[in-house]
Amino acid sequence: MTQRAPAEEELRRLSVEMRYLEQTAEALQQRISMVNTAIADLTYANATLDGIEKEKENAEMLVPIGGSSYVKVKLADPNKVIVGLGAGVSVEKTLTDAKATLKERLDELEKTMTSAQQQFSQVAERINTGRGRLESLLSDARQAKH
Amino acid sequence: MSDELSKLPPNVQERLLRLQQLQQTLQSILAQKQQVDMEKNEVEQTLVELAKTADDAVIYKAVGSLLVKAEKAKVAEDLTERKSLLETRGTVIARQEERIRNQVKESQTKLQEDLSPVSGQPLS
Repeated sequence: MTQRAPAEEELRRLSVEMRYLEQTAEALQQRISMVNTAIADLTYANATLDGIEKEKENAEMLVPIGGSSYVKVKLADPNKVIVGLGAGVSVEKTLTDAKATLKERLDELEKTMTSAQQQFSQVAERINTGRGRLESLLSDARQAKH
Repeated sequence: MSDELSKLPPNVQERLLRLQQLQQTLQSILAQKQQVDMEKNEVEQTLVELAKTADDAVIYKAVGSLLVKAEKAKVAEDLTERKSLLETRGTVIARQEERIRNQVKESQTKLQEDLSPVSGQPLS
């Protein structure tokens, strides 16, 4: 009994640690997914600006209004783009400045993504190691019972 | 679980229920705090970005799903006011949080005292 106590203590500690690590992994996965969505959105905006750059003033365009429906518009000024700053405020920028802003945001998000992925790998590794140790402790406990 | 609960004396059951309610209130206050903090950070960040733009820059303010042209100075003033309101709300929420935390602590201590003679050991 006295010899088994430290193993039981380790088992208890490891179970708590594993639960904590699994919650962290889940939170990191949610973060990665959110950053991914934001990256896709910015990439889409960038591609649209690339397309607009090739168009001339008064070019005819179709703007999506949802439900696979579009309205016809004429491009008033291909060099002016409205970029959101947050908190419901947007600013008019030249196309070049707008692209630079989007690029900056994309770079920032990619850094966040790399860091989140690294953290996730570390947590996943700790989970795997912990699972291995947990299985071996459980198997020892089972053998000790026989 | 509910069977075990019903074995407890009525006053302990009541106290346990009160503790659960307090913990729920605390969770809701913490969620409000997080929301206010996020909003305040966004407003602060927008003010920083706005300061970088030229004074004659064309600024738009969201009104529902529409964007309406606005003066930079007026937008900055509105944002500063919003920031100040959020700070006040943040202070009020922090005070509420402290009060509820104290009540939770007090309730836990009383519950431990109530349960000690029943279980023979303090509740962790």
